[in-house]
Amino acid sequence: MKTDVLIIGGGPAGLSAAIETASRGLDVTIVDEASQLGGQLNQQTQVLRPLPSVYEPMRGFELANKLIEQIKGFNVRLLLNHRVVGFYADGSAGITDEENVFPVKAKKIIVASGAAEKAVAFPKWTMPGIMTIGAAQTLINRDFVMPGKEAVIVGSSDFAMETAIQLMDVGIRVKAIIEKQSGALAKEQEKASELSKNGIPFYFNSFIKEARGNGQVEQIDIELPDEVITLSVDLVCMDGGRAPILDVFYQLGCSFGFQEELGGWVPQYNHTLQTGREDVYLAGNAAGISTQGPLLLTGMIAGISVSEELQAISPAEANEMREALWKELGLLEDKEVYSGRIKHLENFTSPLLKDQFIS
Amino acid sequence: METNYETIVIGGGVVGSGIAYHLSERYKEGVLVLDKKYPMSGTSGSTQAWVWVHNKTPSWYAEFSMYSAELYPYLSKKIGDVEYKRTGGLSPFFNESDREKAQKLAESYRKIGIKIKVLSREEVLEKEPYMNPEVAGATYSSIDGNVNPFRLIDMYMRAAKRNGVRYSTYNRVTEIRQVNGKYLVVSDKGAFECKNLILAGGTWSREIGDMLGVKIPVNQLRGQILVSEPLKPFLNFTISGLRQANNGEVLMGYSMEEAGFNRATTLDVIQETANMAVRYVPGLRKAKIVRAFSGIRAMPEDGFPILGNVPGYENLYVAATHSGVTLSPLIGTLITELIMDGETSIPIDRYSLSRFG
Ligand SMILES: Cc1cc2nc3c(=O)[nH]c(=O)nc-3n(C[C@H](O)[C@H](O)[C@H](O)COP(=O)(O)OP(=O)(O)OC[C@H]3O[C@@H](n4cnc5c(N)ncnc54)[C@H](O)[C@@H]3O)c2cc1C
Repeated sequence: MKTDVLIIGGGPAGLSAAIETASRGLDVTIVDEASQLGGQLNQQTQVLRPLPSVYEPMRGFELANKLIEQIKGFNVRLLLNHRVVGFYADGSAGITDEENVFPVKAKKIIVASGAAEKAVAFPKWTMPGIMTIGAAQTLINRDFVMPGKEAVIVGSSDFAMETAIQLMDVGIRVKAIIEKQSGALAKEQEKASELSKNGIPFYFNSFIKEARGNGQVEQIDIELPDEVITLSVDLVCMDGGRAPILDVFYQLGCSFGFQEELGGWVPQYNHTLQTGREDVYLAGNAAGISTQGPLLLTGMIAGISVSEELQAISPAEANEMREALWKELGLLEDKEVYSGRIKHLENFTSPLLKDQFIS
Repeated sequence: METNYETIVIGGGVVGSGIAYHLSERYKEGVLVLDKKYPMSGTSGSTQAWVWVHNKTPSWYAEFSMYSAELYPYLSKKIGDVEYKRTGGLSPFFNESDREKAQKLAESYRKIGIKIKVLSREEVLEKEPYMNPEVAGATYSSIDGNVNPFRLIDMYMRAAKRNGVRYSTYNRVTEIRQVNGKYLVVSDKGAFECKNLILAGGTWSREIGDMLGVKIPVNQLRGQILVSEPLKPFLNFTISGLRQANNGEVLMGYSMEEAGFNRATTLDVIQETANMAVRYVPGLRKAKIVRAFSGIRAMPEDGFPILGNVPGYENLYVAATHSGVTLSPLIGTLITELIMDGETSIPIDRYSLSRFG
């Protein structure tokens, strides 16, 4: 199979890249291991803001529907329930439908493989009933499954607060928020105060000492600054932050840099979102952890850059649009993340890791 | 860190660490091993790790390998459990026409005292019931086996360190000079001086040789390996093409490609390898593959080990070889003898660098 643009990942960034490329007449293929486009948006019931100026604020799953609606009019081949498992010697992507593996030769690849949640390790943290906040959110909002009845949340980021509220909304009793730092990390104060108002205690300077249970979590010991308390719970949701998913970049031989603000190791890229490999671009959380608005913008930038390379748009026009999008990104994105991004761009020509193999 | 050593070994892979350990058995002080990364980061950490004798040709090379295989049980006693298993080795063939070739091989081996049997289809299936019933036969030798390369190198290092050997890792050698009859080894973390210098840089030997103006004709040959999920123990033998490790993982693959130092894995070879494995052991079709990795073989130009003194240089030694896992205890022993006694118990002239002229 041949295609102009292969987009790996059908989340918000991949979809917005698909819109930019397919709307200019390019032949686009999206591959995603899920059975549904939209990625993480599908379980996000909260209102997302700020979004790029072309979108009204809306809920995550509404945004997913909107993006999917937009690509429908164009020439986009969808390979859902398909995974990229490697690359052939000639650079073709090897894609599997879980039965067979077939090659797809693309002129350009945009990797929008998103992020994975990081866990928070403590003794017995792998016991059933202990999961990341994103997993809990997916269960209640997408799969309509109650992950438990009595929960604690480890972490106090905006995402953790949001998830705590969503858990409460479906009738799960949140017994405590446990935070290692001395105060809540959430930037949106209202959410933390909404939880406090509901009588949920915040334990600062605290962490889980140990989980216990027979086949699943039943009790946890929390180390507070001056005592250890025990709570009975059947659900522990942990927020260890997120990190870009890098497998495909490794296989493609891209270069890497370390940028704390972007989530750790991130493929190196320039302002066109081109990686260290000429034919490979990236977008979304794979380009650094951010919020939905900025993720869409990076998808648009990558899409425009690829369109320019494939001569579907003039360099002058591409430059102008890219500039405007970068400007908007600067306005929309958290300041720290954005400055991390700029630092990351500056390191493009001097990556920390050029050859990920230890030879 | 001390900068003066009696002996420096460049390269801490299975070959370098094997030499350092064997030296330390007889010589308690003054050995330093330098490695640009870490001892398992080179080829020794990306290998099938068969201890393999049978169907190596010509037979003198098989004989050399056999001496090494015979040292393995003692090695475990000296440095600890390295998960060495003398499983016996099977090399299956699928065409009756290959039987004659097999018989010839067995005969040439008999002359040097290596026993190889040529098995019938029934005998193969009796020994290895999961083998493809379409197999025509196999050569079989009882001396073959495999080892856990990570444990092997780790144990070498531990034992060597207990005996006083120093390791300096993440320390690349960038320059070597001869000064007042000694060697000055310049590295990222400073310069060291030594009397004896051993070049055990594996697939990087050519570059290390260049630092002294010595031509060590070692090329790169990539190999890709597939690793299955841990399966119940079901393979009894080391089969030329695959083996089952102690934890149940099956390692498959025997590919060879020229790709320089590029350690990527590619789907072309992965698919070929999977097909080979399934042809040998059809049940593997159901196994999940959890990982693919590649390694870069250190392949001397004529395929045989390069061992011993470097002609024209005093106290300079080289050990670069493919099949380094198989040969490591023997190479360690021989290089130690060469340094300590000036001669070896088994002749190694055949492996001298001088053969390349
Ligand atoms: C796919 C595959 C399968 C194999 N299967 C088998 C098998 O079944 N049986 C078998 O016996 N063999 C097998 N081999 C071969 C075997 O793995 C190698 O022969 C052996 O590992 C070589 O060991 P070494 O110590 O020479 O090399 P290495 O392990 O590569 O060690 C060389 C060391 O030198 C260091 N070095 C290099 N340059 C410098 C420098 N300038 N300064 C400091 N340090 C430096 C490196 O960092 C490295 O650690 C296989 C190899 C491959 C790739």
